[in-house]
Amino acid sequence: MSRRPVRRKLTVHMLRDKLGLKPSKELTDMLKRQTEIKVKITRALRKQPKTVPEIAEETGLDTYTVFWYLMTMFRHGQVEEAGKTDEGFFKYKLRER
Amino acid sequence: MQRILQEAEEEQEEEEYDVLVIGGGIAGETASLDLADMGFKVLLVEKEPSIGGKMFLLSKVFPTLDCASCISTPRMAATAHHPNIKLLTYSEIQEIEKLGEGDFRVKILKKPRFVEESLCTGCGQCEQACPVIVPKEYDFGLRGRKAAYIPFDTAVPKIAVIDIDHCVFCGQCERACPVGAINFLQKPRIIKARVGAIIIATGYKLFPIEKKAEYMFKKLPNIITAMQMDRLLAPTRPYNAVLRPGDGKEPMNIAFILCSGSRDRTVGNPLCSQVCCMYSIKQAQLLMGALPLADITIYYMDIRAFGKGFEEFYQQAKAMGVMFIKGRVAKIEPGENGDVVVWYEDIENGGRLRKATHDLVVLSVGLLPNPEIVKAFKNVKLELDDYGWVKPRDENISPVETSIPGVFAAGCILGPKDIPDTVLEAEAAAAQAAAYLREVRRHG
Ligand SMILES: Cc1cc2nc3c(=O)[nH]c(=O)nc-3n(C[C@H](O)[C@H](O)[C@H](O)COP(=O)(O)OP(=O)(O)OC[C@H]3O[C@@H](n4cnc5c(N)ncnc54)[C@H](O)[C@@H]3O)c2cc1C
Ligand code: SF4
Ligand code: SF4
Repeated sequence: MSRRPVRRKLTVHMLRDKLGLKPSKELTDMLKRQTEIKVKITRALRKQPKTVPEIAEETGLDTYTVFWYLMTMFRHGQVEEAGKTDEGFFKYKLRER
Repeated sequence: MQRILQEAEEEQEEEEYDVLVIGGGIAGETASLDLADMGFKVLLVEKEPSIGGKMFLLSKVFPTLDCASCISTPRMAATAHHPNIKLLTYSEIQEIEKLGEGDFRVKILKKPRFVEESLCTGCGQCEQACPVIVPKEYDFGLRGRKAAYIPFDTAVPKIAVIDIDHCVFCGQCERACPVGAINFLQKPRIIKARVGAIIIATGYKLFPIEKKAEYMFKKLPNIITAMQMDRLLAPTRPYNAVLRPGDGKEPMNIAFILCSGSRDRTVGNPLCSQVCCMYSIKQAQLLMGALPLADITIYYMDIRAFGKGFEEFYQQAKAMGVMFIKGRVAKIEPGENGDVVVWYEDIENGGRLRKATHDLVVLSVGLLPNPEIVKAFKNVKLELDDYGWVKPRDENISPVETSIPGVFAAGCILGPKDIPDTVLEAEAAAAQAAAYLREVRRHG
């Protein structure tokens, strides 16, 4: 007979239930937008390494937003440098895990 | 967090220490280490999740160009591991009551990290798993961090924190933690202590330059503060190189605007911030090393190079090719392709209004007082000067004593200054606190 592992309730859910905490709509909307941005950047980098203006062009996002998320992903080990153009833009690619 | 802080539990026991040091920047660390080495028991309270203050975020220090984190990281570690120092991070002083000479009662709020300090190994797996991104305070917003995060690569202590105000309660961090360190049921605690003397070392705040609307900070992405530039130049930098935030381009024509929010009555800060000339010259020299082909311009009113080796440091920057333009910047406008147009009064050429285009502008922001701690004193008054800096009992002969006997101050809480002067004051405050304690105990 196979026994299902007993799942302990996470303390985060205990706290949430005890104090009736709920993420605000603003926060959940922000998270949704962030996920969309990361997916767009990841898709744009899937084919070949690109610069920030190239990613912006492909995704329709502005260059500031692309660079901010790209550097956040860079520091979290998700993207890496892949050369530099003569105009002073680095190219970035997805990091193989 | 406010909702959770209401659940704070007050500890019954009162802990005893010789000296309470408030603020874990270079001033607080130095004073704590000096006192601890003399055999005093020190309680060091830091409001952020890591000690280190501003210094451990800097690139190098003027005029020696020594690496800032190479100097500060060992000092941070020594502070955290000294057997005579009890360190409380992520904690705030709530109340200070003077009961008599050499006797203060203190209440400290220890905020919950929602991470068990004794279990967390700082592995960062919670951070990898967390889906929420918010601007990273330690990088002054240049990139993001997660809601579950390690404050900084070289943080002391290197323990994760959960930013509960941005948490969506998904539980990913808790599932990811390999040692079960995450505990959302952790409660805030109010710690009570009796101490013999106090050293205030809560440092300074940066001038909020968005107040000076004509400088367009936060309106144009390629205008940054000097603190952000120090981060870009530091080995722990937020990007892979020195790049401008607007589009990630390597800047080739960078301008510094000195006295941004200092010596300026229109924004309520008539004082000179004392370090901006020198840190800007430092950054200009470092940029010439990082970007050898870049043009660097410094717009200034006058260069205050008053310390040992400062004038030579200034002349060295000129010799390296940094352009110094004596002129007040009147207006900033957006240029093409993310560039920034600077209008300035060219003082050395008849005061004519001229314009120049730069691809990155750095605002050399001033230092402001950080007098919040005043509110904690319940039955005694900590006096401030006309500008909000802590007022020494006597500026000339007792520069680190405050209006309250037994309470000393050190570093930028007393006024803007550089690191060597901060360290000197911290050592003086430690010596004065030790002398005060010996004196009251001899008579008590
Ligand atoms: C852009 C820039 C570059 C600089 N470069 C140089 C340089 O190259 N060389 C140089 O000599 N100087 C430099 N300086 C100046 C230098 O930063 C200061 O001299 C130094 O940091 C002062 O140290 P401090 O400990 O007094 O204050 P801080 O570094 O501000 O530390 C204060 C500490 O107290 C904590 N704190 C604040 N309030 C509370 C509270 N209520 N309770 C508990 N803790 C609290 C803070 O979190 C912080 O950890 C620079 C300054 C700037 C802005
Ligand atoms: S529970 Fe909160 S902190 Fe943890 S991963 Fe989810 S959002 Fe991040
Ligand atoms: S809380 Fe857990 S996952 Fe996060 S850094 Fe600490 S040990 Fe690692």
